Amino acid sequence: MSSSTPSSSAGGVGSADSAAPRRNSKRPKYSKFTQQELPACKPILTPRWVISAFMLVSIVFIPIGLVSLFASRDVVEIIDRYETACVPDGYKNDKVKKRMKKPIYVYYQLDNFYQNHRRYVKSRSDSQLKENSSWDDVSSCKPEDMSNGQPIVPCGLIAWSLFNDTYSFSLKSQQLAVNKKGISWKSDRDSKFGKDVFPKNFQNGTLKGGATLDPSIPLSEQEDLIVWMRTAALPTFRKLYGKIEQDLQPNDQILVTLDNNYNTYSFNGKKKLVLSTTSWLGGKNDFLGIAYLTVGGMCFFLALSFTVVYLIKPRRLGDPSYLSWNRNPGGH
Amino acid sequence: MKQFIISSETDAIREVEERGDQTEIARFMKEEVKKQLKQFLDEAPQYFCSPSGPKLALVIDGKCLMYALEPSLRIMLLTLSLNCSSVVCCRVSPLQKAQVTSLVKKGARKITLSIGDGANDVSMIQAAHIGIGISGLEGMQAVMASDFAIAQFRFLEDLLLVHGRWSYIRLCKVVMYFFYKNLAFTLTQFWFTFGTGFSGQRFYDDWFQSLYNVIFTALPVVIVGLFDQDISSSLSKKYPELYKEGVRNMFFNRRIVAIWACFAVYQSLVFFYFVSLSSSTSRDSDGKMFGLWDVSTMAFTCVVVTVNLRLLMMCNSITRWHYISVGGSIIVWFVFIFVYSGIMTRFDRNDNMFWVIYVLMSTSYFYVTLLLVPVAALLGDFLYLGVQRWFFPYDYQIVQESHKDDADSINTPDSQETKEHLTPDEARSNAISQLPKEVSKHSGFAFDSPGYESFFATQFGKYVPPKAWDVARRASMKSKSKPK
Repeated sequence: MSSSTPSSSAGGVGSADSAAPRRNSKRPKYSKFTQQELPACKPILTPRWVISAFMLVSIVFIPIGLVSLFASRDVVEIIDRYETACVPDGYKNDKVKKRMKKPIYVYYQLDNFYQNHRRYVKSRSDSQLKENSSWDDVSSCKPEDMSNGQPIVPCGLIAWSLFNDTYSFSLKSQQLAVNKKGISWKSDRDSKFGKDVFPKNFQNGTLKGGATLDPSIPLSEQEDLIVWMRTAALPTFRKLYGKIEQDLQPNDQILVTLDNNYNTYSFNGKKKLVLSTTSWLGGKNDFLGIAYLTVGGMCFFLALSFTVVYLIKPRRLGDPSYLSWNRNPGGH
Repeated sequence: MKQFIISSETDAIREVEERGDQTEIARFMKEEVKKQLKQFLDEAPQYFCSPSGPKLALVIDGKCLMYALEPSLRIMLLTLSLNCSSVVCCRVSPLQKAQVTSLVKKGARKITLSIGDGANDVSMIQAAHIGIGISGLEGMQAVMASDFAIAQFRFLEDLLLVHGRWSYIRLCKVVMYFFYKNLAFTLTQFWFTFGTGFSGQRFYDDWFQSLYNVIFTALPVVIVGLFDQDISSSLSKKYPELYKEGVRNMFFNRRIVAIWACFAVYQSLVFFYFVSLSSSTSRDSDGKMFGLWDVSTMAFTCVVVTVNLRLLMMCNSITRWHYISVGGSIIVWFVFIFVYSGIMTRFDRNDNMFWVIYVLMSTSYFYVTLLLVPVAALLGDFLYLGVQRWFFPYDYQIVQESHKDDADSINTPDSQETKEHLTPDEARSNAISQLPKEVSKHSGFAFDSPGYESFFATQFGKYVPPKAWDVARRASMKSKSKPK
């Protein structure tokens, strides 16, 4: 075995000089690391491993998929598009089909609104939102940084375009209270939006982009603004409007009174009102459940087909007749 | 073996040389060489027809080579040499050595390797693509001019068949993996641009992008490049035909690159669409919604995990350094994001990432998605590897399978004793390996020094049978007759 004999081989390690006295070796110290002899596990992907891996994945994934799908099916969701009528009658009838347990979340959904546009996402000043002392740090907020020579608080396109439709609900001529507290992320309320920062000079320009803000309420309590400023990932998104802390029974008829203030007509945006419960997995989204079931099902099918192929066309492991020089002998 | 000999020691040439006329000698020798080359060239094809025919060899000496290397005869020499299994040029000058090497290098356009141990080999070593110098008895000139230096001639076998082959495989893997991981990462952002109105908003935070190749995926691929061995060194020498895989460039051709690219595209689609479609509704039972940075952190986590797991899938041998580096990279990612989203500094222009990961990890959506996305992404690769190994195996995979039950014989010379039948060579090596390692038997002679090891061996009481050629050589030195 030449590997255990003097092994100062390739790589320019250098060699012992022959002229030196024989017992004085310059051979480098042997170590498993430098001699590439580290103990290693050498996995081989035999059919047994392939089939068991696929079976394992399908056994794990199919139940998870079913559970996720049930969780999603449990969620009751009512979606209504309302901006088709420019001035809606003001009343809309929402029929509850299944029992909805409290709290019921009210969302507004916007389509074709690109909150993830680069210049939009950039147009905010987090330092200004955090503390009063940086109230004039508006450089990144162009074009909504100054108005009438004064810096705007909160500045930027995101704040300027704050959504301002309002909704109120009544059931059997009784007003349903919508809880608008606690709809934003706690970390935002506590740390990102300051308790001593008040809106100033806001929506004072020639073009109003959205809602106005009460200048006497600090930003940390302006939850609508906080929710709106967490820019969405895709052009179709929902944002939390409030919570209804009451159960709704099937066949209840909710009357919605809404103010269609927000102008989405100029860019063909759609507006929808969503009432939804949640599950442990979140809102109504079949995607995870279906994805799990698909992956699990595919793995199961692949495991079966691999088994069939393995039985039909077996190949002995390590069969030397598959070596290319044995298959075409004499080929260069 | 059929030998074609072009020698300047024939009677005809000697006769002309005795006459003393230089131009006459030159002309005559050139004619002779030309005639012989032509003759051999015509003879050679008949040996090719039968694959079991004798191998061809060309023997030419320095004087004839001088004429054979002239431009008019060079092509014939090259053609003939390439048809022969081996060519022996004797009594050549250093310049001719370099000229022969260049002839093959430029004429045959093959990769040439030259090995030598003395100062007269320097020009040859430098002329070839790869020059190997043997350090030792004749000094260090060859070593200083060479690309690789070895101590004994027999280490060339190790150099080529073991380390050269491993080096090729590792290089292919490292390069391929680098392209793949960056492709998977970048294409995810590409799919995002379709949803941003093509405004150029980046999907990932700046720090994620900068540190991706530096911290989160860098170390594992380095470990693979250092340690990956498809088969052990002894098996590499036992199956020298495997060296052809490198010669034929089987692991880095267009097909392989296209396959990796396809899988990278597929994985990027999985990363982007699985994550963004599943996060379009509220995050958990308290109804709040995810924003852009939460979705991108989720996607990035999936990318890092998947890309590191894919590395493990492509290793042939997994040492503990692999586990450490892969696990370490994933852990470093989590440590980084915990720190990054836990602090708000004055220097950040945006606090986009604040608290993102903590919120994410408090939802069950995170874990459900983190289980789904890497598995779905790697499903294609796993399937491909399984099908490729089963139906279209590479040679090294067959060798791996046939020897997978061999005990790890690297550090246990005792395992050799369990084999009943040792060839004399193996017996000799075995005996030598029994010698205590600290004492140097390493002499640095270019060729195995005769009797040297047996000298030490007998000192330790082990019997080492002398080599046959050594005995013959000693016998030949006693008389002036031709060796062997």
